[in-house]
Amino acid sequence: MIRIHVLEGKAFVWNCADVQRIREEHRIVGTLVGALARKPRQNVRLGLPLQLLPEEARLLLEKDVATLIKNPSSKPFADDAEQDPLFLEAVAAYQEEQEESYMEQLRLAAEQRKALLGSLAERIAQGRAKKQQQKGEGGEPLSKPADPESSFVFPRESMMVQLPTERTWLGQEEVDWHLPSKEWPYGGQPEHEMRYCVFQSLWEQGYYITSGSKFGGDFLVYPGDPMRFHAHYIALCVTRDAPLSLCDIISVGRLGTSVKKTVLLCSVDQDGTVVYTSLQWSGMQ
Amino acid sequence: MEPELRPRASGHLLSPAELLAVRTRDHKIPQRSHGQKDFMPDGSEEQQEKLCQCRDEQWQLLREERVERLGSLVKAEWKPLEGIVELKSPAGKFWHTMGYTEHGKQCLLPEEALYLLECGSIQLFYKDLPLSVQEAYENLLSQMSVSLLKYQVFSHLKRLGYIVQRFRSSTIATPYEQQLNLDSHYQNAEKKHHKRKRSSSPWLHGKKPKTSERTQEYAQPPQKDKRHHESSSHPVSDGGSLPEEKVKESDSGVAVEETIPTASDAVQCYQSPPVCMEDHHESSTTTSLESQGDTCPSRWNFTTITFPNMGADCPQTVLLQPDKRLLPENVTAREVDATRWRKRLNQKHEKLSHKEREHLEWERKYKSSINEDKEVRQCSTWQEYKALLKKKRQQREKNCPAHFWKQTVTPLLKPDQGLSTADVLQQISVLQPSHILDGASQLQNNSIAMKIDFDVYPADTASSFKKNKPGKPFVRMCVRSFDEQIPTLRAVKQLAYQSGDVPVVFALVDNGDIAFCSFKEFKLPVDVYP
Repeated sequence: MIRIHVLEGKAFVWNCADVQRIREEHRIVGTLVGALARKPRQNVRLGLPLQLLPEEARLLLEKDVATLIKNPSSKPFADDAEQDPLFLEAVAAYQEEQEESYMEQLRLAAEQRKALLGSLAERIAQGRAKKQQQKGEGGEPLSKPADPESSFVFPRESMMVQLPTERTWLGQEEVDWHLPSKEWPYGGQPEHEMRYCVFQSLWEQGYYITSGSKFGGDFLVYPGDPMRFHAHYIALCVTRDAPLSLCDIISVGRLGTSVKKTVLLCSVDQDGTVVYTSLQWSGMQ
Repeated sequence: MEPELRPRASGHLLSPAELLAVRTRDHKIPQRSHGQKDFMPDGSEEQQEKLCQCRDEQWQLLREERVERLGSLVKAEWKPLEGIVELKSPAGKFWHTMGYTEHGKQCLLPEEALYLLECGSIQLFYKDLPLSVQEAYENLLSQMSVSLLKYQVFSHLKRLGYIVQRFRSSTIATPYEQQLNLDSHYQNAEKKHHKRKRSSSPWLHGKKPKTSERTQEYAQPPQKDKRHHESSSHPVSDGGSLPEEKVKESDSGVAVEETIPTASDAVQCYQSPPVCMEDHHESSTTTSLESQGDTCPSRWNFTTITFPNMGADCPQTVLLQPDKRLLPENVTAREVDATRWRKRLNQKHEKLSHKEREHLEWERKYKSSINEDKEVRQCSTWQEYKALLKKKRQQREKNCPAHFWKQTVTPLLKPDQGLSTADVLQQISVLQPSHILDGASQLQNNSIAMKIDFDVYPADTASSFKKNKPGKPFVRMCVRSFDEQIPTLRAVKQLAYQSGDVPVVFALVDNGDIAFCSFKEFKLPVDVYP
């Protein structure tokens, strides 16, 4: 199951494997919003978490490949947890683990150094011999090469520590996404229902869909993965019988033309099928 | 549901070997070098391969965990009750632009702590257990202090290098301070140390007709000033003369002193401060002089003392023989013609900025010196001058037909106002343009719907930035959700008023994407010359 976490009414995926599955198996793109672990101070490439549109999350939920999880209202440890045996146990376990990790890292680092020295032994010996020659015979007898084991220091500060991305304990509370709630207020909202219908319909036709606010629409529709392909359509969700002003039509038509995309006016019919109308800028000659 | 406690069970925790391996990890982001995006998937192997490459690269980056040396991590503890993060080990470089001290403890705001955690600068603990990034998001962000939207904007700006502080209304000048323009005063005061304005001495300043006579209102009576007797020993009606000449004139006293002593044949007699001389006058004194002796407390009678005009505009510069009593013994003096010397004086041309030149040009065209009026120049006292003004006014009123000017509705303009075209347009316009801050102060007592969230300072000020005295921000940021209404004019006015003279920018967050926009006041250009 893909775990979708709710935070302030927004859907997030924190697990990298889940992100990969969502994209590769379900053609859901989402937006990365966190700092990239490798290079956090830039905005060109971002990292986890992946934020999903409500429609994207709902599609995964409807297909029953994901669960919606909220931050558990019951904290793992109460505020007066200092005496909680479970808590003390957890702290002890953490500290012990850190200690183990340090010892293991110390051992590994020493091993690595030994291996390195071993591979360079010949060159070191050559260097020493050269130095002695330069000093002449008058110098003191060469100090014996120090034992690599004893001279090796691996201070505690050098220990590498992980700052985990995903939650380390698995406390979770599922959210029922069918009904609107404080955590997930979308279910049953007419706006959301319409957008979801359009989203689903496009998705089922094999398209990749992202948020279209950059282009003044509801969705951007891609023929393939947005990593490698340009969007073809700007989808605009309109209520079936709501009047549409000519000005709006012209402005979206203009925009679509100037970014070389086709504007789709999408509305949901009474029986739930989605009707698409495309706009094309044309002139009489 | 009971929280399932399996703290170390998850697979994404790295083993010690993996942790060590991170030390040699690449620190660069791979460049996306897979060429242009394609138009349509055509099922070709080439496309598929490129896509796979792109994806693999992406998953590789996302899979990487934050791993840091323990020694380079700052330990910090989350205090949910206070809503702050307290540092447990000395702060790092970030302390320059983030955090604050309270009761001797170093603290971070939740958004700062979360950002630093994401950057791998701190290790965040809650009750002796470390928090993951996810847990930090879920615990530190709340509608009460910093919402998710605000954090997304905060971290976006921080990643771009900006210094971001929570909005503090105390950093804003009060309306009174704004009115006084205190801020710019401080700035100017600093500048003045480096760059002195031309003719900063008031004495020289007063002598410049450009600044004294023509701009200081027309009401100045003619040549009553003592100073003019000192300096202008030749006709003053020189409305059209260039400012360069004026400056030379005013500088001449000093210049003479400096240059003439170097010449062996000329003996200097005109010194400043001036000394009393009996009858050594310039021949060209044409202005009618009035005795000022009774009002002058000085022992010098300035009406009888003249200074030579060494300006380029003066045709004659014959310096008469000085009074022998003023000279030291053994020094003989004689009359000298300084024309030759004068040519060597004041060779430096005054450099006027483009703006100043334009202003002068404009003044010459549209302003006239009151001294050019012969009648005015004949007045010798204020009384006479005022009488003259009165007479002129009466004359004008005679010219105004009563049916035009004596009724309740009168023309917007008077024929004698002598206004420029722009002034006329201004005078007759019905609708006046409104400024964004007009009436904004009255809107403040109403409940404020929108608040400014952040003060943003540019990245390049980081070296000189002081947390306690941040100064004027680059912009102020107001965080909004993409699907919220466009702010009303009222809200924009309120925000502009709160912000003072710093622009307010709206950050619109849509599903993690952030767009910035601002409402700028636009002044319609008026195409009238001048």
